[in-house]
Amino acid sequence: MYKNLVLVFFVSLLLVRCGGSDDDSSNNGEVKPVAYDRGKMLVHWADKIIIPAHNAFKLTLTDLDTSTKTFVASPDQSNLDDLRSKWLLSYKSWQHIEMFDIGKSEEIYFKSKMNVYPIDKTWLDNNIEKGTYDLENANNYSSQGFPAIDYMLYGIGADDTAILNKYNANNSFTNYLTDLVNKMVSTTDLVINDWTNYRATFVGSTDNTASSSVNKLTNDFIYYYEKGLRANKVGIPAGVFSGAPLKGNVEAFYKKDVSKDLLLEAMDASIKFFNGTSYDGISSGPSLKSYLTHLNSTKGGATLSSLVATKLETAKSQINSLSNDFVIQIETDNNKMLTAYDAIQAVVVLLKVDMLQAFNINVDYTDADGD
Amino acid sequence: MKLKFLPLYLFIACASLFLTSCSDDDDAVVDITVTPPSNYKFERNGKSTVSFSGQSSRLKMAGELYSGMKSSSSTKAGLNNMFNNGTGFSDTKLDASGKKVGNKTFASSVASATVKPMFDSMITDFADNVIPNWSTTAADGTAGKMTDSKRTVYINAKGHELTQLFTKGLIGGMTMDQIVNGYLSAAKLDTGTNRADNDAGTLVSGEDYTQMEHYWDEGFGYLYGEEADVENPTLGNGVLLSKYAGKVDGSNSPGIGKIIYDAFKMGRAAIVAKNYAVRDAQAKIIQMHISKIIGYKAHDYLNDYVTKAAAGTPADAIHALSEGYGFIMSLQVTNDGTGKPYFTNAEVNTMLAKIENFWTVSSADCTAMANDIKAKMNL
Repeated sequence: MYKNLVLVFFVSLLLVRCGGSDDDSSNNGEVKPVAYDRGKMLVHWADKIIIPAHNAFKLTLTDLDTSTKTFVASPDQSNLDDLRSKWLLSYKSWQHIEMFDIGKSEEIYFKSKMNVYPIDKTWLDNNIEKGTYDLENANNYSSQGFPAIDYMLYGIGADDTAILNKYNANNSFTNYLTDLVNKMVSTTDLVINDWTNYRATFVGSTDNTASSSVNKLTNDFIYYYEKGLRANKVGIPAGVFSGAPLKGNVEAFYKKDVSKDLLLEAMDASIKFFNGTSYDGISSGPSLKSYLTHLNSTKGGATLSSLVATKLETAKSQINSLSNDFVIQIETDNNKMLTAYDAIQAVVVLLKVDMLQAFNINVDYTDADGD
Repeated sequence: MKLKFLPLYLFIACASLFLTSCSDDDDAVVDITVTPPSNYKFERNGKSTVSFSGQSSRLKMAGELYSGMKSSSSTKAGLNNMFNNGTGFSDTKLDASGKKVGNKTFASSVASATVKPMFDSMITDFADNVIPNWSTTAADGTAGKMTDSKRTVYINAKGHELTQLFTKGLIGGMTMDQIVNGYLSAAKLDTGTNRADNDAGTLVSGEDYTQMEHYWDEGFGYLYGEEADVENPTLGNGVLLSKYAGKVDGSNSPGIGKIIYDAFKMGRAAIVAKNYAVRDAQAKIIQMHISKIIGYKAHDYLNDYVTKAAAGTPADAIHALSEGYGFIMSLQVTNDGTGKPYFTNAEVNTMLAKIENFWTVSSADCTAMANDIKAKMNL
């Protein structure tokens, strides 16, 4: 009798000791009976974050377009200054939508047409000279969008006088600039107009399958954070993936002193999306963070949702300590860039491994790190 | 039996169970569905499913880099090519392998990106300062050579014998990091649809293995990639982890080699049997034991320095401290079985700062660090 009791006790002890997770995540790949309302989260994402961010971006682009027309009609210093400021405002606004690579954006390679850097200078110069080019062609992704305008406004001459001379001497420059901006406007219109219909599809896709909205957008977010933000803005220029730093690969290479501002915007956008903060910053709603909280996910005894939120803030403050000009930062103290990279990377592990495990979502993109 | 003693018996029995059942030791999880194979030999339809040629290439590349980093005929461009571009090796097969050591140096998702540039700096320092001073007498602040009754070392201005820092750094930064934080992590093994594919027996296109099997084998390859016969591994091969696993197996921790090999075999068999709990338990054994190899060597070389410095053999002492420096660098990518290193990047940097200048290093600091490593890693 007691023997049996003892046996039962031991067996249960074994189960308790060995049945638990071998890793730190409490969910351990198992799906809990989830009552989390994914549909509500999708509605919040669409109506309070994605669509408002796109609309806000469109406004900045309209301003950029207007200033471009003014500048092209009269290429002088004051119009150049005005155009440059509109370019920067729009470039910052872009940081809030690059991660939403879903629906029409994904279909028409929106982000490839807006923000591939470094530019292919030879190709771009050739475009200007020839005057004929197909901006739909993938070969031209590195000759258009914000990085191309960065070059057109800061890189085509040694100083402002030289730059203005180019526009005044030859309409091939004004033509190319106009075409670049027109292309950005028309591409953006396609995406925004599509959301009118796509919204219903997006918010209705609440399943946990590879093609459902939550799974796709969560993957998009992590992909963006890992590649668009971590690798492109910091890792590649700091030399993490090469033998030496590649300072020519910083974002806004020709303007230079705004690389940090653009990265900070991107971090803010990432933090707001994770936390479920509305685009206007006024309200908040269901989010990856509250989803994790709902699941009671933990790692190493800490709440996973707060851990991510805290580490995102840590990364942001590391970025804040960098020079505004990443070329200068890389030249003077690249180790600081790498330290910021480490802080950004610390979040990748949490998002990609621990969070996705908690949600029981598979990563839908492959790393290029196999061998 | 007196019933009143029952609680006590229960307590003792439970406590002992607690100690033995799921401790981090070798035989932690025994699952009857996975039969321990006698060898690291796995086949499908009569063909081997084990492949790790990329790892073997990198281990050989490290061997040539080790030689290159102590030869006065090396050049900066040549060393950099070997390290970062994977070309310029005397073994031309290595050039054609498409593999690189540089992109697997402190490259796992938990390694700090600040470490790899230290290797690039060592190449520059060696080519720019050590080689031009090959016959200069070294002094504090001056690169050159130093000779005692035991050996001659060629050192930089801080007294570092760079080939030792470089190679011992790679033992942790490439071989161990790739095994314990890369290929054997559940995150890597379960990447994408790996689990579903392994369950369904879906093979990698054109290959005889599943992706999960292959990842495990690639981890295996970083330790056993230079064995003549992986079914009868001897350890002690090449210049990286295998060499020091052999040394520790023969001194500090006899049997550690068998523990690691058995865990590799069992974990691989578990993947074939689709038993991922057993797989992860074996990964944990490997993570902890390989980490301990690094810990033993960091500890021993710090103490060796103290002994040899006291014995009046400064070149021999500096040689030991150079090895120790590399092993200390490696400590930050150890894995205690929960995904955490025994020493963080910041803690390692604090240690390295204490021994940065070998001309002024304090033996007391070395002894204290050795003791700290021993205590923290339970050596």
